[in-house]
Amino acid sequence: MKDGSDRAGYLEAWLYNHSEAARRSLWRRVHAPGQTLILVAVLGFVLALPAYLWLLLENARALSAGVDHQPRIALYLDLEGGEALTGTAARIDALPGVAEVTAIEADAALAAYRESLPDPALLDWLEDNPLPAIIEVLPLERTPEAVAAMEQQLATLLPEATVISDHEWVRQLDALHAAGLRVLLVVSALLALGITLILAVASAAELRERHEEIAISRITGATDRFLRRPSLYGGLLLGVGGGLVSLILLGIVVMMTRSPVEEAAVVFGIPFAFAGPQARVGLMLVGTGLVLGWIGARLGSAAALRD
Amino acid sequence: MIRLHRVTKRFGCGTEALRNVSLRVDAGALAFLTGPSGAGKSTLLRLIARLERPTRGRIMVDGRDLGPLARRQEPEFRRNIGLVFQDHRLLFDRPVHANVALPLEILGFRRTEARKRVRAALDKVGLLQKENAQPLTLSAGEQQRVGIARAIVHRPALLLADEPTGNLDPELSREILQLFLDFNRVGMTALIASHNLGLISTLGRPVLHLENGRLEARHVTEPRSTG
Repeated sequence: MKDGSDRAGYLEAWLYNHSEAARRSLWRRVHAPGQTLILVAVLGFVLALPAYLWLLLENARALSAGVDHQPRIALYLDLEGGEALTGTAARIDALPGVAEVTAIEADAALAAYRESLPDPALLDWLEDNPLPAIIEVLPLERTPEAVAAMEQQLATLLPEATVISDHEWVRQLDALHAAGLRVLLVVSALLALGITLILAVASAAELRERHEEIAISRITGATDRFLRRPSLYGGLLLGVGGGLVSLILLGIVVMMTRSPVEEAAVVFGIPFAFAGPQARVGLMLVGTGLVLGWIGARLGSAAALRD
Repeated sequence: MIRLHRVTKRFGCGTEALRNVSLRVDAGALAFLTGPSGAGKSTLLRLIARLERPTRGRIMVDGRDLGPLARRQEPEFRRNIGLVFQDHRLLFDRPVHANVALPLEILGFRRTEARKRVRAALDKVGLLQKENAQPLTLSAGEQQRVGIARAIVHRPALLLADEPTGNLDPELSREILQLFLDFNRVGMTALIASHNLGLISTLGRPVLHLENGRLEARHVTEPRSTG
């Protein structure tokens, strides 16, 4: 019965069928501008919000990495100084990953402390030196992981020493960043679920408007796949539109917040340029919009065609 | 082509639309189905097109037992059937040619081939000059003819028509029925429900009479063998 049974003919018919479905869904979107604009805007907002939060997190991380901070590990030892101290310092110096080792004798530490006091005579009340000897270690690598590993290594080497790193804040910031990413992920997932359901409802409503065409098509032998095809294209169109809107929104928001953030960084004495969205982010937004649009349309059409 | 064996259709509300109906229509035959409204004519046609399922009994169409036919097999089955409705059921959001092209679109015809067939179908029903018209601008008779063109454009083996002349004057009704006779002459099997007894009795074709859901068992053969 079907004359287009040859392969090329089948492909042509298939392409025609798809282009026709796409054309019709575009026509339908254009002829319902109010609804289309609302859906595209909602999708745009929902995509732009997590994208902006992500940008903030990434910038915060860039900020912490940008601070030129030499991590310092201090070992407080229960000895006065002398050979015991220099020997220990030499042992630490021989460890791999150590850039520099400075040994400070207890007396030298006290002398330095005395100088920092407004009234050095106060220390004369002390019977003996309460300060421990200190060995300061500068690790070669500055990443929080490397510093933590070095701390661990020193603690095992000298179990009697108290090991304190001034790099703790970097680790805290990193932990905050990881927690922020997790929160962002969960919020994004909830937003994605919400917008997908909204798109599904819209798609189902559109299919119900086509009920006469669907009834006739079914009688003529249309499969569900054929019937939902225009809706799927409609979902993809909304998705791309939403992705583009979110990009524009993101651009506007970044533009509005860039200079105050950079000024604040200057006040803190940190040279910092707020990084805007890159091409990768744009692709991600449009891609996510596309996927959410398709899933929404698929869910909605499945529900509408079952009725 | 069509075989019904002791078919009963009872609706949810308890009314029995068809009772124990048996019927056989051979390939290439044309028969009319008459009876007062509510006699079960539409139900019978809908059962044959698998738009309804029987409560009891067996239906075979074109050698295919509809009993075990799965839902996802229904579209493919219906592609061999053309359906004409009393209210034409045209889509008013698109021109005449797009209405007629709908079955070809579903079947995946190439555009050039589809256009050719649409024009041929419209030519057959005498509406070629209206191919770009909007259905709303057509008269009732023209709309019905568009509906018929849509039903036959994919050259189905079986044509089912439910009161195709219901809203038309006698002259137009005769023209429409003549169209069905023409399609039958080229091999299309047709079952046409109509209560226009006066008109169909002049056509010399078998008439099946449904009353209260009952039908005298009949075997309709090709016109050549009945004379």
